[in-house]
Amino acid sequence: MNKLQTLALGLISSSVLLMSACSKNSDDATPVAATLKTNTVTDLDGSKGNVYYSLANNAAVTGADTTGTKWDIKFSGTSIFVNSGTSGTGTAQAQVVSSTFADLTAAPASGYKSDATGAAAITGWYTYTATTAPQHAILMVPGKIIVVKNSAGNYAKIEMKSYYKGNPDTTTPAFADLTTRPASRIYTFRFAYQSNGTTSLQ
Amino acid sequence: MLLLLSAKVSAQQIDTAARDTSKSKKLKEVIVTATRSAKDLMTVPMPVSTINNKEIKNRGLVRLDEVLNEQTGLAVLPDAHGQGIQIQGFSPDYTMIMLDGLPIIGRTTGILDLTRITTNGIDRIEVVKGPVSSLYGSEAMAGVVNLISATPPLGFSSSFAARYGTNKNADLSLNAAYATPRLSVSGFINRNSSGGYSLVPGSGSPTVSPFHGYTVNGRITYKLTSNTDLRLLIRNYTNTSTNNYSVDSGQVAGKGTESNFSISPSITHRFSEKFTGELRLYRSTYQTTSLLNYTATNAVYDETYFNQAFNRAEIQSDYQIYSKLRLTSGVGGQYETVDATRYDTQQSFTSGYVYAQCDWTTFKKLNVIAGGRFDAHSVYRSQFSPKLAVSYQLSDKFVLLGSTGKGYKAPDFRQLYLNFTNAVVGYSVFGYEEAAAQVAKLQQQGQIQTILIDPNKLQPLNAESSTGYNLGYRYRPAKSLMWTANFFRNNIRDLIDAVPIAIKTNGQSVYSYFNIHSVYTQGAETDLSYNFLNHWILAGGYQYLQAYDNTVLDQIKAGQVYGTDEKTRETVKVTKSMYGGLLNRSKNMANARINYQDDKTGIIASVRAIYRGRYGFSDVDGNGIVNRDDEYVKGYVLFNASVSKLFYHNQIRFQLTGENLGDYKQPLTISNLPGRLLYAGFTYNFNKQ
Repeated sequence: MNKLQTLALGLISSSVLLMSACSKNSDDATPVAATLKTNTVTDLDGSKGNVYYSLANNAAVTGADTTGTKWDIKFSGTSIFVNSGTSGTGTAQAQVVSSTFADLTAAPASGYKSDATGAAAITGWYTYTATTAPQHAILMVPGKIIVVKNSAGNYAKIEMKSYYKGNPDTTTPAFADLTTRPASRIYTFRFAYQSNGTTSLQ
Repeated sequence: MLLLLSAKVSAQQIDTAARDTSKSKKLKEVIVTATRSAKDLMTVPMPVSTINNKEIKNRGLVRLDEVLNEQTGLAVLPDAHGQGIQIQGFSPDYTMIMLDGLPIIGRTTGILDLTRITTNGIDRIEVVKGPVSSLYGSEAMAGVVNLISATPPLGFSSSFAARYGTNKNADLSLNAAYATPRLSVSGFINRNSSGGYSLVPGSGSPTVSPFHGYTVNGRITYKLTSNTDLRLLIRNYTNTSTNNYSVDSGQVAGKGTESNFSISPSITHRFSEKFTGELRLYRSTYQTTSLLNYTATNAVYDETYFNQAFNRAEIQSDYQIYSKLRLTSGVGGQYETVDATRYDTQQSFTSGYVYAQCDWTTFKKLNVIAGGRFDAHSVYRSQFSPKLAVSYQLSDKFVLLGSTGKGYKAPDFRQLYLNFTNAVVGYSVFGYEEAAAQVAKLQQQGQIQTILIDPNKLQPLNAESSTGYNLGYRYRPAKSLMWTANFFRNNIRDLIDAVPIAIKTNGQSVYSYFNIHSVYTQGAETDLSYNFLNHWILAGGYQYLQAYDNTVLDQIKAGQVYGTDEKTRETVKVTKSMYGGLLNRSKNMANARINYQDDKTGIIASVRAIYRGRYGFSDVDGNGIVNRDDEYVKGYVLFNASVSKLFYHNQIRFQLTGENLGDYKQPLTISNLPGRLLYAGFTYNFNKQ
């Protein structure tokens, strides 16, 4: 057997080993994964007013429940509030972490804040383009993951996807043109909710 | 004959059609800008280049932007505030533009618009790359571009030149001069006008509005005694543009004016063969006005003005201690004022400086230049800018060059005194000196929601500064061949940017200026020129450039920078290889040209290709940096060509010039490419050549 063949064989066998190692890991993770649910929310309409959202139930909260602890986050224009402090009667807290959605496998142990006057817990997830093209647009800042610890003490990670109806491609001329740009304050985001009270987000 | 390098100090004349005379090539090519004294171009120890009047005329070029755009490593950037020059990856703010060694003033957001500067009446343009603050102070951070005006030949001479073409672009010049061995008087009047153009015709706003401008220039020199020379330079530039824009609330129209007047008397006295002194006074004023009225109602939409004045007195002495050692030193004072719509009151600066430079040749072949300049200023911290440059002649044909130095740029009036609130959107920008008082005022009015940074505790604004390193060589293996190369690195600190200091109750921010960014630029450039078969020159140049923000690099290293994938629209981590560096910097730039000149038939022609590689233009995915292909402007090549025919003892020249013959356009991203431009030119010399 020449050297090249040895090398090739070595590479193949090691990759086989790696692959089997990976699948073994995911087998172990199965029981944990059952308590973590990932959802994508498409076109949550905030154009007619504030929208309250329960991450535990993956549903909007309306009516009298909006004054209690049933909701976790509230969308209000370019602000996202958490249910605590100046925003609500709950004890939910949040922070923004730099990461991809997938890479954030555990919620940070500390660093959470409640909403306070002029100091919201959730900031920096969007950018306003002002006069640079596409003009006067709200664009998502990539890699800003909102981590929420809700009133029940459970953790969730949220990635905002879009501020416009239909999660449009913001690089197109149709988006740049204010007359053809889709309606704003219509949110698309994905989130993963860990219901077992641990910080594990994978 | 090396046309490219044929800047001879004595071959100066105001004629516009004369051919290169082969007699003058025995004279050494010199450059004055690098050391403030005439030095041999082959051995001056900094990266320098010159472009002479004949070459500019042969190419059919009339404005400074057209000339600089064809030079290696220089990029003329499109911007709404004018066309500025990028040298070694520096923004236009950091290059000093001079006329006969005197800085030209009048910048808008840091950009000095090169289209306003005529190349009529000059002998040559000298370009020095790398920091030269050691001689010229603030702004000479990336380098210096110096236009040297022509010395008229003895007797009476005059000429007329015209160029007209696409977009009704017209350039007319009338030059006249009279010179005796003692007295020389010369002057010209130049008119430059355009019908403007619109790259997006449906928008209701032209890209460039129609304008017409005049430059009137006078120059008198008089030999008072055999050792005393008097000189007076006067220039006045005025420009009027006819604006007509479409804004959200309707159509607005009106006039914009720009004017720049400068005057500089000077006296030079040779105290002895070794010692010369010069006293130079300089005053320059720059004004702009703009008035826009609604076309429908005639109500005022916007009215602004800007007035700037610059005054300087300077004494320079040159002491040739012995033939190999020369000491140049000077002392000066400056007083500047500015008064504008966006400033509360008239603001002023006072500054003083001293500089000294030692030019020493030792071991026959080693030339060392060491010097420095100290600037004291009424508002910002004092600056010391040292410089060390060395050249070593390995042989007559090969010279090694190395230099290092510090450059700086003072905070400008805007960064110190701006008081501006955007009427439409509602944000405010305050200069460093204004911030505390203006924020307090807004607080009293109940307009402030949150203070982010206490304006009473702002760090004093410091000058932006850089340390530059240049290493290269000049190689001339034969008379017909010249090859130069230079490697450069610039470490730039304390770049000033606007940062939010408070949030207003309307949700908009209040900004002020801080020294925050630290960036570096590095790269290499090379130029090659070869002339063959008596009539032909083949030349080319290339620059490789990297320009990065250190903070962004650190964040990428720490894995904290994310972007959005163009296709999947998924969030991805930005790696160093994805980071495109600073906006508007092309990694690759190149040019090539071929010249032909036949004195017998009087035919002169050249074809030039200018390549600008792709460059970062905008942030699309919201992370503030360039990391995706759709955030770049595609690379492109411009083809320019010109052909001249001389008649009647070379007194008449007919010329055809084409710029951007490939008709390349990018209407949404490149505002200074209106497409193909074709010109016809005519020159008449009233006297025999």
